[in-house]
Amino acid sequence: MWNKLFNYLGLAVAYFGFNFKAQLEYRTAFVSQSFAMFLNDCIWLVYFIMFFDRFNVLKGWHAEDVATLWAVTAAGFGIGHSLFGNSLGLARIIANGDLDGWLLYPRALLPHVVLGKMSASSFGDAIFGYVVYLVVVKPDLPHFLLFTALTCSVALLFLGFSVLTGSLSFFIGNGDSLSEGWRNALIAFSTYPMDLFDGKTKLLLLTIIPAAYVSGFPVEALRKLSLLHAAYSLLGALAVVATAAIVFHLGLRRYESGNMVAMRG
Amino acid sequence: MSALKKYWAIAWISAKSNLAYVSEVWSRLFFLAVILYVFMCVWKATFANNPAGRFEGFTLNEIVWYLAFAEAIIMSSPRVTPLVDEDVRTGAIAVQLVRPLSYPLYRLASNFGEQIVRFATTFFAAAVIAVVLGGVPDNFATGLLFALIVLPFAFVLDFLGYLLVGLSAFWFEDTTGLALIYSRLTMIAGGMLLPLELFPENFRLVLKGLPFAYIVNGPAGLFVHPDLTVLGMVLVNQLVWIAVFSLLVAAVYRKALGRIALNGG
Repeated sequence: MWNKLFNYLGLAVAYFGFNFKAQLEYRTAFVSQSFAMFLNDCIWLVYFIMFFDRFNVLKGWHAEDVATLWAVTAAGFGIGHSLFGNSLGLARIIANGDLDGWLLYPRALLPHVVLGKMSASSFGDAIFGYVVYLVVVKPDLPHFLLFTALTCSVALLFLGFSVLTGSLSFFIGNGDSLSEGWRNALIAFSTYPMDLFDGKTKLLLLTIIPAAYVSGFPVEALRKLSLLHAAYSLLGALAVVATAAIVFHLGLRRYESGNMVAMRG
Repeated sequence: MSALKKYWAIAWISAKSNLAYVSEVWSRLFFLAVILYVFMCVWKATFANNPAGRFEGFTLNEIVWYLAFAEAIIMSSPRVTPLVDEDVRTGAIAVQLVRPLSYPLYRLASNFGEQIVRFATTFFAAAVIAVVLGGVPDNFATGLLFALIVLPFAFVLDFLGYLLVGLSAFWFEDTTGLALIYSRLTMIAGGMLLPLELFPENFRLVLKGLPFAYIVNGPAGLFVHPDLTVLGMVLVNQLVWIAVFSLLVAAVYRKALGRIALNGG
């Protein structure tokens, strides 16, 4: 089992290298998209810090907490989709019958297909998350290590969530819009403190739109340096990934080839 | 066919084709519902900390309706930049040039038809959600009338901004990043998340001098606080900015045409 795991980690590293080199072939586009996303996140962060400061939205919440919230969400999203960029477009890949090519490889389908592409703008998100956490929050070593671990957990959750929502295309035809809308809802809830929402909404954020594991538990973990909250976050991420894998493979049984003739480089 | 009839036909076809994509509409409405609910929670918490019950003349219900109208404007904004970008990159713009149509006016008509349909569906859903969350606002009919007077000019101004970004494809390798930053400026500097009246005074003065204010804040502000003087002021500013942007588009487009190289074959 360990051999297999290390083998797939090696594949992930190799794919990241290939994808990164492919992005650098269009260097200007890659840099401009990454930089634009970095700038976009900075604009949102400045706005939110101003908003929380001016209106005293939540007592006990300061600029550092808002920055932590944005840093962990952006870095998690960025890492997840930089490494597994195809998960963002999975719904379209399934609907177009583009899984055909991936089915021919002697690798497990799901990890292979999601590794196949890098999202340039997500790279900007990842950089933003780490820069903001280091510059605005100025963490000590234990906080930084915990932040790094949590961003990996959040990345795993985003990967799982994108696969889960993308897999809807197996069941409803083209689920591209629904998948994007659902993911945007997760991002929207993740960029606000959980304390703003009431009990029923919190239940929703622990299940259907799992924002609690993206920013709720991670931010509490970092504020209190609590491993328990970090563990909740990781458990949530693993649950989402497991559900996503099950739904994907159930859906795969319904997959029909697009019979498309195409060249792959 | 007279010139006006041609462009009217393009707008009509664009509106009809947009009605065909039902799943896209549902996805947009789902995201809208989530966003409005999140805003409602944030503002409820904010108002709970303010015993006066008003911020610069805005009640909680007015804020919810303002955000519903502003969100409907932003969410109905069609993605004109990638279309222009694609026309430039693929050379399809050369095909447009041989048609008896002005390319910018063709795009304007197509955009206008699409945006009207998108706005109508989005605002209808936003209004239903806002009624559920906060009830019907005062001056609903007058506010709607005033907002609808300035809305077409807001659409034209919004279009001209995105067209300028799209035309930059003649010089830049990729316009995605530029379009992203421009859209964020429209959201924040336009007052989508927060009425400009609630910004700190020095910010507010600067933002009111920018065109974004007359795309979002102008119509949404008139909707909740209808006022004849403000209506006149918004209209004048919109017309001035449309004139400025039209001149810019004309100059950039003329310069861009000089860069087109056609090869036979």
